[in-house]
Amino acid sequence: MKKVLALCCALMLVACATNPNGTKMKASDEESKLEVYNRAMFNFNYQLDKHVIKPVAKGYKFITTQSMRNRVTNFFDNLEEPASAINNLLQGEFKNSGQSVARFAVNSTLGLLGLFDVASGWGMAKKSNSFDATMAKYCVPDGPFFVMPVLGPSTPRYLVGWGADAFADPLYWALYDKKGESWVPVTAYGAPGLKFLNKRAENMVLLDSLEEGSVDFYATIKAAFLQNRQKFQSICAQSATEGGASQSYDFDFEDEED
Amino acid sequence: MKKLSLFVLALSGLFAFKANALDATKAEDFVKEVTKEGIEQIINADVSMAEKDARFEKLFDTYLDLDYIGKFVLGRYWKTATEKQQKEFIAVYRDFNVKTWSKRFDEFKGKNFDFDGTSPSNSEGQIFVNTSVKMNEGAPVKVIWRVKDGAKLKIVDIIIENVSLAVTARNEYTAYIKQAPNGLDDLIKDLKQKANQ
Repeated sequence: MKKVLALCCALMLVACATNPNGTKMKASDEESKLEVYNRAMFNFNYQLDKHVIKPVAKGYKFITTQSMRNRVTNFFDNLEEPASAINNLLQGEFKNSGQSVARFAVNSTLGLLGLFDVASGWGMAKKSNSFDATMAKYCVPDGPFFVMPVLGPSTPRYLVGWGADAFADPLYWALYDKKGESWVPVTAYGAPGLKFLNKRAENMVLLDSLEEGSVDFYATIKAAFLQNRQKFQSICAQSATEGGASQSYDFDFEDEED
Repeated sequence: MKKLSLFVLALSGLFAFKANALDATKAEDFVKEVTKEGIEQIINADVSMAEKDARFEKLFDTYLDLDYIGKFVLGRYWKTATEKQQKEFIAVYRDFNVKTWSKRFDEFKGKNFDFDGTSPSNSEGQIFVNTSVKMNEGAPVKVIWRVKDGAKLKIVDIIIENVSLAVTARNEYTAYIKQAPNGLDDLIKDLKQKANQ
């Protein structure tokens, strides 16, 4: 335990001193306290990833085939169908909700507990949805960008959505009220661990390219994360003004920012 | 006489307007040409890495409006930069992009672009060309090309799954310059270093 604590402290010190590019961080007057926290937490996550998570993910990638990893991805994607079904319903997307239910039924049985996405082959495309999107539809504001320990970039609405959707996860209910059984701790920690590791392995190529092409990795990740969330803004706008919102990426090149 | 000249003036105005509006089909054909050349001549081509890099550089210089993009990604720091800094930045930004993108050829091997029409842009003389790329697993990736009119058609932005490369670069560089001790000069130095790695 002491060793772990020492390691964490060391990582934090390293994180505070320099950013991943090696240049000294200088908090300018305008930089809010949140940004200072964000950069520090981002660096902590970056070091943790570099020294612990990424090596494990690389090992995982080495001992598995793409096909195996696809099975794992499918398995966890399938467990997210109930959440999609509920949120589609909450947004009035009845057809999509029904399709999510049908997909879950087909893939869990014929697809062998979700390992295979049989339903897509039958013309039932995935209609993913989340509580995050549901809140966005009802124009709940996103809130400021902040970096979570280990979990990475997020916003308040993102986090609330993530937590809410966790209650729709069948695995949560399978483990509920079964505290005494021996398989519970293994599944409770093993399953999210595997999901996380698999995701890390699958996004490695993309994240590596992103990092190589960036001089300020924190700013790049923040920009990409927030831009990706702009699609939620147009959901709210669309329900407010009938007639389609303009594309979120259609900015005027002459616009000055900040 | 006055009526005739007014008429001619009106007619020329009409033609001028038509000439300025960016034709959707023209823009789509342009992107089709660029992606076809990229895939056939570079990504799937059976030539040496050095040859691929050379072809990619030519493609990059021909089809991207780097002066326009470079000015955009610096944001407010373009106006406060000296002409020397501006020139230096565009040059190093070009080198840096050529280098980083050429490393990603293998990612796109065997992939194809499916075209799905165009979308209008609020910016004058610009239009979005919609494409998607089928992946091995999961939903196809949406890739949108922002095309600008001019002496020749040029690409000024690529938007991948709602993330604009130009906006991401601008957010990154303005954040970097804000916290760098020597501002734009530090950015130029850093980019130069990465491009020569």
